[in-house]
Amino acid sequence: MNNLDSLPKKKILSLFMTCGFPTLNQSKKVFNEMLSHQPDIIEFGLPFSDPMADGPIIQEANKLALRSKLSTQQSLNLIKELSKSKNNTSFVIMCYLNTVRKFGLNKFIKNIKSIVDGIIIVDLPFEEEDAIKKSLSKNNIHLIKLISPMTDKKRSKKLLKNSKGFIYYISATGITGSNKLDYKEINKNVKSIKKMSSVPVLVGFGIKSKKDVIDISKKTNADGVIIGSALIQKYFDLKMDFDKYIKNLKKFIKEVKV
Amino acid sequence: MKTYKQPSTVGRFGEFGGMYVSETLMPLLINLDKSYKKIQKDKKFKKELNDLFKNYVGRPSSLHYAKNLSKYINGPKVYFKRDELNHTGAHKINNCLGQILLAKKMGKTRIIAETGAGQHGVATATVCALFGLPCYIYMGSKDIERQKPNVFRMKLLGATIIPVESGSKSLKDAMNEALRDWIKNVRDTFYIIGSTAGPHPYPKMVRDFQSVIGKEAREQILKVEKKLPDYLIACVGGGSNAMGLFYPFLNDKKVKIIGVEAAGRGAKTEETAATMTSGTPGILHGSYSYVLQDSDGQIKEAHSISAGLDYPGVGPEHSYLKDIKRVKYFGITDKEALEAFQTCSKLEGIIPALEPSHALAYLIKAFKNKHKNKIIILNLCGRGDKDLFTAAKAIGFDADE
Repeated sequence: MNNLDSLPKKKILSLFMTCGFPTLNQSKKVFNEMLSHQPDIIEFGLPFSDPMADGPIIQEANKLALRSKLSTQQSLNLIKELSKSKNNTSFVIMCYLNTVRKFGLNKFIKNIKSIVDGIIIVDLPFEEEDAIKKSLSKNNIHLIKLISPMTDKKRSKKLLKNSKGFIYYISATGITGSNKLDYKEINKNVKSIKKMSSVPVLVGFGIKSKKDVIDISKKTNADGVIIGSALIQKYFDLKMDFDKYIKNLKKFIKEVKV
Repeated sequence: MKTYKQPSTVGRFGEFGGMYVSETLMPLLINLDKSYKKIQKDKKFKKELNDLFKNYVGRPSSLHYAKNLSKYINGPKVYFKRDELNHTGAHKINNCLGQILLAKKMGKTRIIAETGAGQHGVATATVCALFGLPCYIYMGSKDIERQKPNVFRMKLLGATIIPVESGSKSLKDAMNEALRDWIKNVRDTFYIIGSTAGPHPYPKMVRDFQSVIGKEAREQILKVEKKLPDYLIACVGGGSNAMGLFYPFLNDKKVKIIGVEAAGRGAKTEETAATMTSGTPGILHGSYSYVLQDSDGQIKEAHSISAGLDYPGVGPEHSYLKDIKRVKYFGITDKEALEAFQTCSKLEGIIPALEPSHALAYLIKAFKNKHKNKIIILNLCGRGDKDLFTAAKAIGFDADE
């Protein structure tokens, strides 16, 4: 069974959070809070020293997590522990390729099999994915595809062939947590993606508020949203007061769960 | 050995190289690769670049017989390929001119670059001034501190310098930030990478533009010595000056080739930049190559007195050449490099940059009283002006006195 195969048709909510942020113990509380709202998807970011595609907020989260020498094994153990109260929420890992390579692909899969439904490897392009995709699909883990505004039709077609789980549409050319949303462009591109694939299309990068979530659902054809940086930002806005942060997180997730 | 023909069409040097970037950049790299292939056949482009090499850079750079140093070593006959005489003081300008002509052809209107020692930043700022394009240079704040003359040069040339405060505040982090800038500004921006690192097609493209060094050296040595050299030697950080010298000789099996890495406080310490001596294969900045990393694949911070070699990765072609044993790589410490820096200055009247001082140090160490009657070409890829403050401090010379 893969939870990603039974996502709702519309208004899908995916929440991203870096593992081990701000510390491993506090991270458990953060994820438990997120999980208590039963979002459709939780994305677990594995911290990497050089997160090339991430903006300053997620970079800072990675840095804090790595400061306490968080290992890949600890992150995977955390995900395993949380999966006990997973219910219908899909678990997705978001990471960089070097983390998987160094841990060992087979060992990695062994650790996440029947726990994690999908994986996004940010710097693994379509051209390099064959071997990894094969091993993942043997174990019923979906390799989630990213499509950017720079991906043209011809390339999208190749990328989206046999796509599973959902499609992560990068709403702005930019790093995570940046840039303004251009609804017209998003709608045009999402429409075009939907012609090529039947799996849900989620919009990520730059979604910060309840208003953004509603606007995406009203003004575009997208099936849902991914929120990441905005969840982490609150911790820094609240001057790293962890108790306040958890309360604020609860309020924010309730708001965006429209 | 078969004729050397790397990389493959997908940018692989053996198993190394490739394109490991997010989907926002993939279409750009594919497009860049196509455009680069096109201009390689473009005669007008070649002519334009050659004119600039000749009249703007001052190429060909000379091949100088370092008589005093040769006598001191009492070993091989040492020739310096003097790319430190180039306009802007290092080999970096060769690549920048090639890439900015390509950027122009592709209709890009904004240039970004990363820099460590500041040589690539200065070269990029220079070509941007020449071609009237806005220029943004990412530079680690630690490097800004130790390379002040180059920071001022870049500013004079009209570039905007963006200090990078993340990570080790040096070259690796500057490259991360430049890549992030590119992801944000994909439509109008051209990223001039300064080394044979990064995703395909950069390692190939930078090597090709730099290989003018080796082509000239080959012709020059054949003219004066009537034969090929026995050895080539160059320093390796990302590896562009070394690839530039080595590439045109790779098929000459009798020419032995040596790359010298910066071992910082020692290749076995944590404070090193000797990627191929102390590292393992991994992915950094979009390519698969040797890299300094921990058991979880987190990239370590490098250390070298030379900002230009202070990088925990290395170009994928060097990793390949190491593994097929075509090139041998060795590490030289900060201390050894500083000694060679002074020896060369005193003996030859040439103040080398700290980067080629590593190659000089290895030459002196490994060839002393050995390999007589042999010929060696060393790539003197940069001059030492930019390092005067760093070197004075390290040697204990008070410049204010």
